[in-house]
Amino acid sequence: MIQFLNLLINGVIEGLVVALPALAMTLVMGVNRFPNAATGDFMTAGAYTAVIMQTLGVSSLLGATVVAALGTAVISVLSYELIFKKLARQPMIASLLAAIGLGFLLRSVISFFAGHDQRNFQVPLVRAWNFDGIRLLPSDLNIAAAALVCLLLVFLLLYKTSFGRQLRAVSDNPDLARASGIRARSLMIGLWLLVGIISAIGGVLLGMKAVVMPELGWDHLLPAFAAMVLGGIGSPVGAVLGALIMCVAQELSVPLLGPSYKLVLSFGVLALVLLIRPSGLMGRTELVR
Amino acid sequence: MNRRNLLKLSATGAALHILPGLALAQAGGVFKVGTLSPITGAGSPYGPGMQQAIRMAVDEINAAGGAGGVKLELFSEDSQTKPDAAVLAAKKLIEINKVQAILGTWASGVTLAVMPLTDAANIIQMNTSGAPAISNLDTKDLVWRYQATNDRFGMAFAEICKKNGYKRPATMAFNNASGLGNTQGFTKAWEATGGKVVAHVTYEPNRPSYRSELQKILDAKPDVIVTGSYLPDSTIILREWFQSGVPVKWIMPGWAANPDLVKALGNEVCEGIISVDSVSNEKSPSYAHFDTMYNKATGKPGSTNVYAAMTYDMAIVLALALEAAGPGATVAQVNSKIREIGNPGGTAVYTFAQGKALLAKKEKINYEGASSKLDFDQYGDVTPDFGVYVIEKGQLVRRDVVSI
Repeated sequence: MIQFLNLLINGVIEGLVVALPALAMTLVMGVNRFPNAATGDFMTAGAYTAVIMQTLGVSSLLGATVVAALGTAVISVLSYELIFKKLARQPMIASLLAAIGLGFLLRSVISFFAGHDQRNFQVPLVRAWNFDGIRLLPSDLNIAAAALVCLLLVFLLLYKTSFGRQLRAVSDNPDLARASGIRARSLMIGLWLLVGIISAIGGVLLGMKAVVMPELGWDHLLPAFAAMVLGGIGSPVGAVLGALIMCVAQELSVPLLGPSYKLVLSFGVLALVLLIRPSGLMGRTELVR
Repeated sequence: MNRRNLLKLSATGAALHILPGLALAQAGGVFKVGTLSPITGAGSPYGPGMQQAIRMAVDEINAAGGAGGVKLELFSEDSQTKPDAAVLAAKKLIEINKVQAILGTWASGVTLAVMPLTDAANIIQMNTSGAPAISNLDTKDLVWRYQATNDRFGMAFAEICKKNGYKRPATMAFNNASGLGNTQGFTKAWEATGGKVVAHVTYEPNRPSYRSELQKILDAKPDVIVTGSYLPDSTIILREWFQSGVPVKWIMPGWAANPDLVKALGNEVCEGIISVDSVSNEKSPSYAHFDTMYNKATGKPGSTNVYAAMTYDMAIVLALALEAAGPGATVAQVNSKIREIGNPGGTAVYTFAQGKALLAKKEKINYEGASSKLDFDQYGDVTPDFGVYVIEKGQLVRRDVVSI
């Protein structure tokens, strides 16, 4: 039981970290209709900006993260304006390939300037709180709390503001949205700013758990992609749910399958859900077509 | 050109292609050498230095007038520490650059992936990988290993466990040939002395957390954890272990427990970790020679990158074999000279220039390398000594040297 709870905690925390890039991807997928394979590298860019801020003497991690989020948001908007906007009328594959290429470019630029040595956030290491064998790491709780706050803010933005309403309208039916006078340009800039900010925060949190290397985000893109598909493409709630379900299933399978095969289980869950509900947990069929 | 001539030409081309062993090694007055070190990925702390050391050796050889009547020409690619990327790079080196040797592969997974290609092309392969499987798969005797096998590392780990009086070791392995080779070699050696391994996990690369894996190990209450790991995953594992607050000792390979690990985690976390690495041939004149040059080229002492000394030796050995085989030799003839110039039976030499001078007088030589005394066994493997380092107040302090 204690082991089960410990594994559950691990799964939830990992799930919350994966939820952020999954959310960033699903937003782009829902509105711009392509899987943004550069999401991982936006995360890396965010993590590196924050680490470099720390080495430059920005003592608060929050401050470093804010700078990272702004920097990444600028990269994100620029990539939309310079690349993805121009490919909007092309088949999806064009944007997907461009995103992969953009990812390569970002990774190369980062490794050119920052090198390949691993970097780490300067976070004080604190002993775990031990409740009769159930171990809670304060640093993990901070990460989980930060992810939760970020997710809540994004959902408030999506479901309680005019910007969110317009975005969802475009996502549902772009032609109808245009006909009802929604201005796409400023909306898109807002969306890509948001995508950059979410990715950067996801990158910082992931970097705090793992180590910051140029391949950080790229290596963690696949779980985020799978979570997005599992949750239903284009559904923000689905992406978060998908990430949580996948990561919890993965960790809980450790006693059964051993750590080497836990990835198999998470993709098994993905396959099963897609067999029963081809559109994903919260997806709508027309987006899948 | 009409169609018949074209057919003839391509038939000749194809015939030449299936008989690469007959191709002269020194086509066009140069011997082409490819380097395939991990500039990026898990091996990136070492790869750039390894490539630099080969470049340094090649410059030294060419400055001494080349080897076997030709100059060495270098083509460098990045293995990315990934087998798939390394295969693409090796194909490019072999098919486009037409290299006659590929030096400097580091990760075992990469070497194992590249070996079939170099074997098929009948060219020489030199690596610093540890996986035991490399010895057995080297059927054409074209593969030369400058690092101790993971088996030998495992034996050294078991020896250290015994010396320190540990009773309940557990093992954690990165899921690849090298990681598993370490822990399996350890388990074999440990069980041979009547010991028992209380728990083992094999974990996947590139995970944000290894808490569940660690928990499984700690549940078995080991007194020491022996790893086959790399730097990034070790950083994550140790950080999570320290925060869990469970007291346990660690024995890790030197490529994981190094100054970068201390930099990442701080002195308190790393205190007492035992780091094991093969040590360079530090008392030899060849090492002193290498150290001076490496320091000049990179600004760091040679001791910061034990693999750089190995790759340096690769280029020197290759050039001495070229020289011994004489002008116009085939790759196979060059290859067959490697044991002759590296193993006992000749006058000991410590630099390329010394060796070349003696070879010119038709004397037998034995190159004593900067990385080890070489002396290749029947599999083309060397047996360096192992340094046992303990991390104390953030410094790796050498406590012992283990020979197996």
